[in-house]
Amino acid sequence: MIGVHDLAKQYHVGDHVVHALKGVSMAVAAAEFVTIVGPSGSGKSTFMHILGCLDRPTTGRYVLNGRDVSTLPPDELARVRNETIGFVFQGFNLLARTSALENVELPLLYTRQGVVKASERRDRAMQALEAVGLTDRAEHHPNQLSGGQQQRVAIARALVTQPALLLADEPTGNLDSATSHEVMEIFARLSRDRGITIVVITHERDIAAYGTRTVDFKDGLIVSDKTNDARVPAQVG
Amino acid sequence: MKKFLRHPVVDTAIKALSRNRLQTVLTMLGIAVGVATVLAMMAVGAGAQRSIEQQVRAAGLNQITIRAGNWRPKVTESDEAVAHQGDARESLRHPLDRLNDDVLPIAFHPEDDPMEKHDHPTARQRLGDLEAGLGSAATMTFDDAEALRQLPGVQYVAGGIHENVRVHLTDPAARSGQDKRWFTRMHGTDVMMPSIKRAWAFASGRFFTEREQDRGAQVVVLGQVVADKLFGAGATPVGREVMLWNQAFEVIGVVTSATWVVQPAAGDDQFDAVYMPYTTTQRLLNLSKLNDITVTAESSGDISRLSREITKLLRVRHGIGDNEADDFTLITQATKALTTGGLPPSVARAVASNVTELEKVTLEQLALTMERASRTMTWLLAAVAAVSLLVGGIGIMNITLLSVTERTREIGLRMAVGARGKDVMRQFLFEAVVISAAGGLAGILVGVLASIGIARMLQWATVVSPLSVALAFGIATAVGVFFGWYPARRASKLDPIVALRRD
Ligand SMILES: Nc1ncnc2c1ncn2[C@@H]1O[C@H](COP(=O)(O)OP(=O)(O)OP(=O)(O)O)[C@@H](O)[C@H]1O
Ligand SMILES: [Mg+2]
Repeated sequence: MIGVHDLAKQYHVGDHVVHALKGVSMAVAAAEFVTIVGPSGSGKSTFMHILGCLDRPTTGRYVLNGRDVSTLPPDELARVRNETIGFVFQGFNLLARTSALENVELPLLYTRQGVVKASERRDRAMQALEAVGLTDRAEHHPNQLSGGQQQRVAIARALVTQPALLLADEPTGNLDSATSHEVMEIFARLSRDRGITIVVITHERDIAAYGTRTVDFKDGLIVSDKTNDARVPAQVG
Repeated sequence: MKKFLRHPVVDTAIKALSRNRLQTVLTMLGIAVGVATVLAMMAVGAGAQRSIEQQVRAAGLNQITIRAGNWRPKVTESDEAVAHQGDARESLRHPLDRLNDDVLPIAFHPEDDPMEKHDHPTARQRLGDLEAGLGSAATMTFDDAEALRQLPGVQYVAGGIHENVRVHLTDPAARSGQDKRWFTRMHGTDVMMPSIKRAWAFASGRFFTEREQDRGAQVVVLGQVVADKLFGAGATPVGREVMLWNQAFEVIGVVTSATWVVQPAAGDDQFDAVYMPYTTTQRLLNLSKLNDITVTAESSGDISRLSREITKLLRVRHGIGDNEADDFTLITQATKALTTGGLPPSVARAVASNVTELEKVTLEQLALTMERASRTMTWLLAAVAAVSLLVGGIGIMNITLLSVTERTREIGLRMAVGARGKDVMRQFLFEAVVISAAGGLAGILVGVLASIGIARMLQWATVVSPLSVALAFGIATAVGVFFGWYPARRASKLDPIVALRRD
């Protein structure tokens, strides 16, 4: 599914260069559920943005579904983001004054076939909301939803184009422990039932344990990569 | 419409614009002022243009009459300096000179001469009317008229034959004792005449048609004065019959003055007159020529050039050599003003025939000055419109930039879920155009009202044409596209990650 080879990313801030990634190589198989952990500033988000085709590496190769996407032009990257990848952010990033349903419909406005027909948009958005158990909140605006519900709307939005890869950068960062576990349960279920490849960044060890595999970042490099043989059941505290 | 409003781009635009409602409305106002000015400008400009044209046309300023024959004042030794027409005239001295010692015909057609012996029965013999055919001078033909029609800058051409006639209410041969008659002018003319005589109105009926002209039909249009004299004031003579040259003619219309400035009066040659197809006159009087041809120019400033072209063309057509004089006379409003302006006819003729460009310094100059004045007015308004549209456009740029800044995270999110640069660009361009087009519509409303107001209050004619409305709307939309371009482009170039991180 994913193959990255010697991925490096440098930022130029004034005179000096920040090496956010210093040569990361890893492979993720289809339907794998990977969690990424590591100290702040270790390059997790930078790596995730490259995986999400939101950014391009300075050097190195990124092969997604057998296709080298590290050098694609912006419009092609937009297409990959729309068709293959679903992205969930720490801050939800829902459009204000817009219903949950319309928020979920958003990616369907930018498909390569153009804007999806209104009725079909609605049907597909409702299905996505159903997958996160929020059909009864479809007409609610973000400010009428709890943090956990907002993040579930964001997950539904990431799912609506039925992507093969779901990426989440600290999806539980703004949520309390109980809600965090609810959200992680959804990811686990999607991985198990639908075979979606999932990569989640987190700071908490118990959240990382939801993954079938956990990768540890430090100073722009992978320092450990181990499989979680027995999945730790959710400990709701 | 409903489907259009539900389109996501439209829907997003409406939501975004209603978020900054006050700014949006103020920006629209700026555009509306600009568009209203554009519209008022075009309305005033077109109105001024039209009223100038109307005044000029009503005055016959764009009219040239080419009369058959060429009459010049008799030249004595002291006048030699004034006249320089060439020596041809001496050899062309005509017997008519003996009748009128003041004028000297330069070129003359045998058919013009009432004293000439004809080898065929004259009209008065054939028709049994002593006056028929008297005084018809003709050196010009229908083909001349057709040739003039082809000249660039020519608007209408009408050939004419003119005679004095006696119009009878009943057949004079019946001698019923009830007969009424009226001595008046007969104009055998062209269907084009109502277009040339812009100050005409039809009290009843109509002018003759192309078909009637082709057939040489015996139909007649009465001037108001003639109709009143024969049928009594207030009667409707249309459909009745009158007799000319002992021939029955059907009355098909009554023509009167369209303005109170000119009142039909006995002997005015216009409403104390009858009109019939020139073909009818030619047929009945056995004439093949025309007395005169009236030509109108598309632009009154074109009269001098057109006069020269006409002279050149007719000289060639009539086979007149370099040293020979014209066998026709060009009469423009300027020369007419001179000859009717209280000058002794001989002096007026001398001036008119020698200073051919006279109208340049008088009426034509006036027309040009008026045109220039309206152009100045138009340019002034255009400057005001340009400035307000510029200010309105900067307003649009400002509010769109504000919108792009406010919605940077939204742009980043849209890009993250697959929007391309051009999708983002389209969204913001559309929003800019919505503002400018809505402002444009409001401006059109205000502009139309303002034009009506200007017409009412300043007595200044204004013309709001559909074309100017379309143009004003087009300009408004163009302003939106032009000034929305930069902010929209800026939004489309945003980096998704940078945009998402912005707060
Ligand atoms: N746009 C940027 N310009 C300059 N430096 C950047 C930029 N983005 C990230 N960096 C730097 O790159 C390094 C890695 O940042 P990154 O956001 O990937 O860390 P992170 O592991 O996600 O940290 P956190 O856990 O706090 O989110 C940091 O040192 C950061 O300062
Ligand atoms: Mg991070």
